[in-house]
Amino acid sequence: MKKKILALLLALAMALSLMACTGGTPDPTKAPDPSKDPGTEDTQKPDTPSGDKIDINVIAAEYGQNTKKWWADFQDEFNKTYENINLVVEVVSWNDIYTVVNTRIIGKDAPDILNIDVFADYQADDLLLPAKDYVSEETYAKFYEAFLDQSVVDGTVWAIPDLASARAMYYNKDILDQAGVDVPTTWEELTAACKAIKEKCPDVYPWGIDMTTDEGQAAFAYYIWNNGSDFTDADGNWILNDPKNVEAVEYAVGLVKDGYTNTDPANETRYNLQDLFGAGKLAMMIGPNSIPTYIADNYAKANTPKEEQINYAFAAIPTNGSNPSVSAGVMDRFMCFDNGHSAEKLEAIKTFFDFFYEDNRYSDWVLMEGFLPATSAGGEIVAASDPAMAPWVDIVGSCKFYPTAKAEWADVKQGVINAQHQALLGSNVQEVLDSLQAQIAG
Amino acid sequence: MAAPSATVAKKPVSVKKAVLRVLLYFVVLDVCVITLYPYFAMLCTALKNRVEIFSGNTILPVTALWSNFIDIWSRAPIAQYMLNSVLIASGSTLIAMLCGIPAAYALARMKFKGQTAFLGFVIISQMFAPVVLLVGIYQVMQPMHLTDSLLGLVLINASFNQAFTIWLLRGTFMGISAEMEQAATIDGCNRVQAMLRVLLPVAAPGIVTTLIFIFINAWNEYTVALCLISTDTLKPMTVGINTFNGYNMIEWQYLFAASIFAIIPVVILFMCIEKNLVSGLASGGVKG
Amino acid sequence: MSKTTAPSAVPAKKQNAHSGKKIFRKVEPYIWIAPSVILMAVFILMPIVTVFRMALNKVTKTGALKGFNNFENFINVVKAPAFSLVLKNTLVWTIAVVVLSTILGFMLALVLNNKFRGRKIARAIVVFPWATTLVIQASVWNFIINKDYGTLNTLLMRIGLIDSPVNWTPTPGAYFAWEIACGIFVTIPFVTFCVLSGLQSIDASYYEAATVDGANYWQKLFRITLPLVRSSLTVSTVLNIIYVFNSFPIIWTMTKGDPANHTDTLVTYLYKLGFYNGRQGEAAAVSVIGFLILLVCASVYMIYTLRKGDDY
Repeated sequence: MKKKILALLLALAMALSLMACTGGTPDPTKAPDPSKDPGTEDTQKPDTPSGDKIDINVIAAEYGQNTKKWWADFQDEFNKTYENINLVVEVVSWNDIYTVVNTRIIGKDAPDILNIDVFADYQADDLLLPAKDYVSEETYAKFYEAFLDQSVVDGTVWAIPDLASARAMYYNKDILDQAGVDVPTTWEELTAACKAIKEKCPDVYPWGIDMTTDEGQAAFAYYIWNNGSDFTDADGNWILNDPKNVEAVEYAVGLVKDGYTNTDPANETRYNLQDLFGAGKLAMMIGPNSIPTYIADNYAKANTPKEEQINYAFAAIPTNGSNPSVSAGVMDRFMCFDNGHSAEKLEAIKTFFDFFYEDNRYSDWVLMEGFLPATSAGGEIVAASDPAMAPWVDIVGSCKFYPTAKAEWADVKQGVINAQHQALLGSNVQEVLDSLQAQIAG
Repeated sequence: MAAPSATVAKKPVSVKKAVLRVLLYFVVLDVCVITLYPYFAMLCTALKNRVEIFSGNTILPVTALWSNFIDIWSRAPIAQYMLNSVLIASGSTLIAMLCGIPAAYALARMKFKGQTAFLGFVIISQMFAPVVLLVGIYQVMQPMHLTDSLLGLVLINASFNQAFTIWLLRGTFMGISAEMEQAATIDGCNRVQAMLRVLLPVAAPGIVTTLIFIFINAWNEYTVALCLISTDTLKPMTVGINTFNGYNMIEWQYLFAASIFAIIPVVILFMCIEKNLVSGLASGGVKG
Repeated sequence: MSKTTAPSAVPAKKQNAHSGKKIFRKVEPYIWIAPSVILMAVFILMPIVTVFRMALNKVTKTGALKGFNNFENFINVVKAPAFSLVLKNTLVWTIAVVVLSTILGFMLALVLNNKFRGRKIARAIVVFPWATTLVIQASVWNFIINKDYGTLNTLLMRIGLIDSPVNWTPTPGAYFAWEIACGIFVTIPFVTFCVLSGLQSIDASYYEAATVDGANYWQKLFRITLPLVRSSLTVSTVLNIIYVFNSFPIIWTMTKGDPANHTDTLVTYLYKLGFYNGRQGEAAAVSVIGFLILLVCASVYMIYTLRKGDDY
C-alpha cells in the first residue's frame, strides 16, 4: 500500500520534472513573446545575432500595473516594424531591480539597455557608453537640457531621461476647513496648522513623513532644499552637516516628536501615507504628481460614492521663512551597457530609442502611469491632453534633483536615511550629521 | 499548551479521561485558530476593495468581491506561474531524493574514510544564505545556460535541500535495524534491491517528511528564482505575483488572493501523503 | 558483505575476482554519495568560493575584483559602529526563534501524535504557515499589527477590549519582538513534523512495557520519547539554527532592519551593504563572519549531541 503510494508519487514527480526539463522553452501558445523563435529548442539568449536578426535585450523598471502590458505591446509593435531586430524587454519590479541588475552585471551578463534611476556606479566602472553613441541626434535634441545635465560625469552625458516625477504638498481641504486653517506656506504656518488639526480633529494625522529605507532621502531633500540648503555646495562638495541641514532635520523630527505626524516614519512608506491620505486619515503630505491618478483609480475600483471621496488639492511645499519653495524632482534614465556592440547593433539601438521617443508614443508612455515627460515635445502633448498635468509640466522644468551623478551618492542616500532614523530615536542631529559628513567626505 | 497535552495520556479514570479529552480538543482548537487567523485576515483583505482595506473599519468585507479572485487570472499568467512552481518543486524533490537517499544510505550502512568530513561538508553547504550566494550561483549557471530555465532552478533547489535530506534520512535509516536487509541479501537481493524493497518502505515516515520539506522549500524559494529567471512565462508563483507589488501601489487584495491560491497545491499534496506519516508505524524494525 | 564465504583453496582466477570485489567494496560508498557530492560541489561550493574571493578582494560597486586588499573589507565591517548592534540582534533573533519554536513545536507534535477526531485536518492546518511564502507571511503580519488599518486593532475594538487603536510597535524593540513572533510562527511546523516523524517510528510496545512497570507519563516522556526522537530533534535544531540565522524575508519585509539598524540581522545588513550601498566586498566579508560564527556553534553542538546520540 505505502509502497504503491510512494511509487506513484515518485512516478508523478519524475513525469513532472521531465516536463520541467523539456519545458525550459516557454509554451509557444502561451508565450506573449513572439520574438522567440518557437523552432529553437534552446532557451539561451545567443550573444551573437541569431541569423540575420540583431538581438537587443532591455531591463525595464516596473512603474505600476500598466508597465508590463505597455512594454509587451511595445515589443510586439517594434519587432513587427523592424524585422531585422529581435527586441526582448524584461520588466522587473522596483523592489528587486537592484538585486537582479547587479547580479547580472557581476555575472558578466549585463543587459544592452537598462531603465533604472541610478547610473554613476556603472559609469565609474566604465560599463556604459556615452549617450551620443547610441541616441540619434534627432532624438537627443528632444530632451530638456536640465535633465541631461543630471547625467553628466566628466563633461559627458552617459544616460538619457525616460520620465520624471515632481513632488508637491497635497492637502485635504475639508480637514483644513474644519480646523480653520489656511494652506500653510511656511514652516511656522505648517506647525500652527498641525497644532490646530490635532486639536480639532484628533482622529486625523496632520502631517505625513516617510523616512524609510524606501525613500527616506526624499524627506531629507524636502526639508533641506526648502531651508535654502542642499546636499552639496556650489562647487559640488558634500555639505551634509551644514547648520541649515541640521536645522531642517531637527524641524522634521520635531514634528514627529510633537505627535503631528504618522506614528512610525521610519517604517511607514509613501504607499502607506498615500493610502492614509486617500482614506481621509491624513491631512497633509508631500507626494508625487501621480497621487490624483492613484486616488481616482482606487475610487473607481471601489465604486466609492462622491460624498465619501476626499476633497483635496496640491500646493507648493512649505519653506522656512522667506526661502523660495523648491519642488523635488525624481528622474529615471535609460543607459546602454558597453557589451562590445557592433556598429550594426548600435544602429539598431538608435532605432529603438527613436521608436520609443516618437512624440505620440512617448507621451503615451508618460501618461500610462501618470508621470511627467522629459522631452519638450512630449511635454506639450501631455499638457494639451490632460489639463491636470499642465501645471506639473511647468513645475518639473524647475525642480531640484538628487546629486545622483556623484559617485558617493549611494552612500549618502543610505547615510541620510540612517541619520534621520537615529534622530528619530533621540540622537543629536548635529552629531549624527557630523559623523556622516566625516564618513562621506573622508 | 504543555500541561493539558502532557496529561492527556494519564491513567484511565473515566471522568478524568473525559476532562482530558476536552482539554485536548481545546488546545487543538486554539492552535488551529491562531494558525488560521493570518489566513482569515488574508482572505478578508483579498475580498475587499482598496478603499475599504485602508479605512480599517471592517473585519469582514461589506460586499465580498469574489471578482478579485477571478481578476488575478487575467491580470497575470497565474496558471503558468503555478505550473512552473509545480514543475520546479516536484523536479527538485525528485532530484534531491535521487541524490540524497543513496548518500544517506551509505552514511548509515557503510563505513568509509571521510564519512565525518562528508557530513560536515553537507552542513557547511547550508551555512550561507541564498542571498549571499546569488552572484556566485549566477556565475556558475550562466556558462551552462541554466540562468533562464526551470532546470536550473530544479538543480539549485535540489542541492540546497541535500543537507536536510541526507541528515534526516541518515537518522531514520540508522534507527532501523539492518537485520532485515541482511536477510534479504542472503535471499539473493543485491544492495540496491534490499534498500528499495526492505528499507525504504519501513522508512516511509522519514521519507515522507523529507518529501514534504523539499517540496515546500522549493515551492517557496524566491531569491534565486528572481535573479535567474528573466522570461515571464518561466517565473514561479513566488516571483510572478510580485506583479501586484508595484512602484506606485501595492495591490494587497490581488497579492493576497494569489497567495491563497499558492497554498492550495501544497496543502493538497500534504493531505495526500499525510496518511504515510501516520500509518508509517514501523513494522517492528526499530532498533532496540 | 555477509555473503563472502571465502573457500580456503581459491583458484587464481577467482582470487582476482575476489580482490576486485574487495576494491569495489572500498569504492562502493563513494559511488553512493557521488551524485550528492557533485550536486553540492557545483551549485553550492563554487558559489561559496566566489563569496570568499569577494570578501578578500577589493571589489568595485559593480562587482569587478581589483586584487587582494589585506582584509580591508573585514576591517571596515568590524569598525562600522552598527556592527556590534547587528551582531547582537542576530544572536537574539536566532536564539529566541530556535529555542521557542523548538519547545512549542515539540509540544505540538506530542499533541498531534494523539489519536483524536479531526487529527488529519488539524495536521493539515498546522502545515499552513509553512506552505506560505515568507514574504507574504510577513506582509500579512505587518498588515495585522498596523496601527491605522490593522485587523488586530479592528478586531479588538469590535470585541470591546480596546477603545482606540493601539500602536503595537511603539519602539524598535517591540517591532523586533513581532518579527521574532512571526519567525516562531513559521518555524513551528518544521519542528513539529520533524519530531512527528520521529515519534511515528517509536514502537508502541516500549510504552506498553513501561506502563506495565508502572511508569507515569512524565517518566515515559523523558525515558522513552525524548531519547528516541533525539536524532530527529538534533537534525531539526542544527538546521534550524542555520536557517534562522540566515533568514532574510521576514525582517526585510517587515522593517528592512530600520530604524537605524535596530532590527537588522547580519543577512539584512549585508544585503543593504551589497545591493543598496554597492559594497559587495564588505557584504561578502559580513557573510564570511556569519559563516564562521555558525561553524563554531554548529560544530560544538553537533560534537556534543551526536556523539551521545549515535551510541544509544
